[in-house]
Amino acid sequence: MSLTKPVPPHHATTGSRTARSRGAVGLGLGVALVLLFVAIRVLAPEEVGNLLSNSVQDFFTLSISVVIESLPFVILGILLSIGVQVWLPEGFLLRHLPRNAVARRIVISMLGVLLPVCECGNVPLARGLILRGLTVGESMTFLLAAPILNPVTIITTYQAFGWNDGILVSRILGGFVIANLIGWIYSRHSSPMSLLTPKFQATCAHAHDEVPATRTRRSVDMFTKETTAMLPALFVGSAIAGLIQVGVSRDLLVTLGQNPVLSVFALMALAFVVSICSNVDAFFILAFGSTFMPGAIVAFLVFGPMIDVKMLALMRTTFTARTLVQLTVIVGLASAALGLAVNALA
Amino acid sequence: MLKRLIARWQGVLLTLVGIVATVWLGATGQLGLYIHPRYFWFSIAMALIGAVFVVAAFAFTPLPEEPDEATDAAAAPGLHDHSHHDTAEPPRGNRAGTVRAALAALTIVVATGALLVLPPTTLTSATATQRSINSATSALDASSPTLVGGDTANFTVKDWALLLRQNPDVGYYADKDVDVVGFVTASPDDPENVFYLARFSVTCCAVDAQPIGVPVYLPGWQEQFEEDQWLAATGAIEQNPGSTGDEPLVLVTETLEVTEQPEQPYVF
Repeated sequence: MSLTKPVPPHHATTGSRTARSRGAVGLGLGVALVLLFVAIRVLAPEEVGNLLSNSVQDFFTLSISVVIESLPFVILGILLSIGVQVWLPEGFLLRHLPRNAVARRIVISMLGVLLPVCECGNVPLARGLILRGLTVGESMTFLLAAPILNPVTIITTYQAFGWNDGILVSRILGGFVIANLIGWIYSRHSSPMSLLTPKFQATCAHAHDEVPATRTRRSVDMFTKETTAMLPALFVGSAIAGLIQVGVSRDLLVTLGQNPVLSVFALMALAFVVSICSNVDAFFILAFGSTFMPGAIVAFLVFGPMIDVKMLALMRTTFTARTLVQLTVIVGLASAALGLAVNALA
Repeated sequence: MLKRLIARWQGVLLTLVGIVATVWLGATGQLGLYIHPRYFWFSIAMALIGAVFVVAAFAFTPLPEEPDEATDAAAAPGLHDHSHHDTAEPPRGNRAGTVRAALAALTIVVATGALLVLPPTTLTSATATQRSINSATSALDASSPTLVGGDTANFTVKDWALLLRQNPDVGYYADKDVDVVGFVTASPDDPENVFYLARFSVTCCAVDAQPIGVPVYLPGWQEQFEEDQWLAATGAIEQNPGSTGDEPLVLVTETLEVTEQPEQPYVF
């Protein structure tokens, strides 16, 4: 398809003098804005912070820390998404996937090994994959499996737990099975496009339109569009995560952690609230106490990367609220079943 | 016009806020207030790449838009709007569009305020109280080397807290001098007589910070010190004379002075 071939440059970039001068004005504006934001940061008076009470201050610190932690992963995810959509030859990815639906989803759930982004980066990437022809169910399989089935997560989980209590194996297998289960369920949906938000449907409808522009130009344009979809969700999601952190006492959840049944649900609730990246959540839960039952830890490590406050906000850019509720319930039940089974066997 | 501008640039501006905040924190050595040092290079590298895209986004004229979210507007068909700005848009989507643009603008303003105007700070004792101090240490010692028998000269608050858990025998501490820096947070069990010299232990980012601390026995400490104050203490570990609280061993201080918050307030 000609979509992949760069249009000769004189069409797009150097067409007329006005376009060039507009570009220069835009460039100047961009640099000016960067300088303005830097100036705000450098000149902001220190005293502003003293006006806030401790709790309010901690709310900001926690929310900011989620943003600062996630932002590089989101940027990386957008870059990979641009790579898939603009730079990979049309159909490259789909051509190399097996035709059989089940085998196809199994391969897709392993893509995280090649694209080791944590879950915040996966959302923009999954959007890019849908635009490149992956079905909605397949994209969900990728979205749920990739944060668990990737080398960084596996190594950190191994470092934290070794082979103890089958935690590592249960996490990998559990993540794999749940992701494929979800993919299978949604592959049977009669009109999968209705699972997507109207806005993203519109984007999909125009994904194959020809845009007469160079690849660089389309990359930059896609960066603008993807940040507009993802960043508000990231900021709002981080604020909600920060708010819950300040408001909900952790003691209760940790106390519940001793009971073989309640501990599973308590740690899933904790995973939902802390919204921590899958690459490091093993260290986090290890630091929380060896008092937790292994099944609860498995439920935490499987549920957390798939569903949490920040992820729901990010996924809402792409899927309808109804779809996300279903997804949360199914993944939650499956994770709980897995956790309880591990506890029963332990 | 304004609405379109906001809709188009919201993401780029929010990205820029995050990028400027990250790079500035990195340049002034404060990134450690929010994330673990192992992410420093990655965050800054991605921020710089993002910055190139942000500036490029302004330099290129936008490609033709996909049609305006007709479906979104159709969701609220009854909203015939009379607001007088922006006559270019079809009237039915006008109010929803205005609300969305206002929310988008609000997000940008709040994000700028939080990330670029507020001075960066550590977590406070409010979070230390809320996350029950030292609850992590019992598990941490499973993964950390045994500290019993180690050289205590350079021990931090974290090391001492672990050691107190690993070895509750007071005789062991007879010839060991403690020299630590931490912030003050009251003991939940015995707030009159005991406070903790605490630090936050961070595994990934400030969200997972766990407070850990060395209990200090000093009746009436509230008259001299405030919560969240940073103190440098020297002294020795002794049996808790109050013995009402959870802590059998406490630090009885020789010197206790107000000090500056350290460059890196968290421990990793």
